[in-house]
Amino acid sequence: MNDRLALLVKVNGELHEALASPAATLLEVLRDQLSLTGTKRGCNHGVCGACTVLIDGKLARSCLALAADVGEREVTTVEGVADGVSCSAVQRALIESGAIQCGFCTPGFVMALTYLFASDPRPNRETIRAALSGNLCRCSGYVKIVEAAERIAEARV
Amino acid sequence: MEFFSPTSLEEAYRALSADEAQCLAGGQSLVAMMNLGLVSPRRLVSLRKIESLRGITRQSDGSVRIGAMTTHAELANLDLPGAPASLLANAACVVAYPAVRMQGTLGGSIAHADPAADYPVVLTAARASVEIGSPLGPRLTSASDFFRGVFETALQHGEIVTAVVLPSPEVGAGAAYEKLSLVAGDFAIVSVAAIVAETARIAIGGCSPKPMFASDIDLTDDAILIVGKRIAMDSDPPSDQRASAAYRRRVVPELIRRAVRAAQASA
Repeated sequence: MNDRLALLVKVNGELHEALASPAATLLEVLRDQLSLTGTKRGCNHGVCGACTVLIDGKLARSCLALAADVGEREVTTVEGVADGVSCSAVQRALIESGAIQCGFCTPGFVMALTYLFASDPRPNRETIRAALSGNLCRCSGYVKIVEAAERIAEARV
Repeated sequence: MEFFSPTSLEEAYRALSADEAQCLAGGQSLVAMMNLGLVSPRRLVSLRKIESLRGITRQSDGSVRIGAMTTHAELANLDLPGAPASLLANAACVVAYPAVRMQGTLGGSIAHADPAADYPVVLTAARASVEIGSPLGPRLTSASDFFRGVFETALQHGEIVTAVVLPSPEVGAGAAYEKLSLVAGDFAIVSVAAIVAETARIAIGGCSPKPMFASDIDLTDDAILIVGKRIAMDSDPPSDQRASAAYRRRVVPELIRRAVRAAQASA
């Protein structure tokens, strides 16, 4: 069945209209309908973390959320973490630490770290590693990513 | 596919009465299976907007009723006294990854009934009950009757897991959940839940289609080892990409010992 639903989704503070199959994931709607391609499609079954977004301030795999089920909740993607002019503290720290290799996993890591620092301003290494446990970096650049997070935590002494 | 998002249980039961209708809870198992092409429900009934499926309440008999739509992250922060509650909280901390814990639900996970999942094991050890709702009213099923096999439960067509009920706290008892997995957040190779007071009772996951259970275990090293070896022998573990059946049998006794000792230490 190819029935399409007219959806209203609030992404990064803006209300968007989309026409999608009831089985479409939030990830598909973000990328294919709203052209918000910062959120990446990796494994598409919830393991890799590349599609991580915030829904009502909580971490979510956008590949495991049906767009039709998002409803009135607010979605924040990597496009929405900065003010449009300068990078967020998390993004700046990742750049300054050289914590980006191919960059495919980076949006997911940005979202995981954005959530972490919103809930715990000064996490220790163990907390950082646990917070990043659901994000895979196939370049295996984890050391620099953890260092970037520690850099933010230290700057907040 | 049709998509329904009812705001009451009555509406949900009506929507679920259609053929091939299925509940959508947090979506962390079901949507993954849809994306992989393993299932394609004709009708999905989202339980997200049904308020009565949320909330945690202590009942007059000391038992705790946990709404089915409670997330793993909420359970991980469960701050209630007593062994059954601490056991559930310990397990919720190691379900999958942070993002999955914030969206995935207790009811969704147990209705899915993956034999390597965490809740079937802890609910069996805790002697918890599952509340199943239908248009005829709710019924309570013990966890050991609820889990029937691989992805198989006592749920009938049109029914909804509405809550889990934890028995009242046991005085002086400790609890622990030991999970052996390849990496943090993965499903268990083998997991053991233990509740220990004068004696131990345990449930073992990942080794059989539904959790195995043993009780009245003396707390000596010998007694624990004998039970561990017997369970390893009686188990029917799978061989898969995570571990061979022989490996699973091999680690069962030691994992049981660790769970019992950790439970004792937490009392």
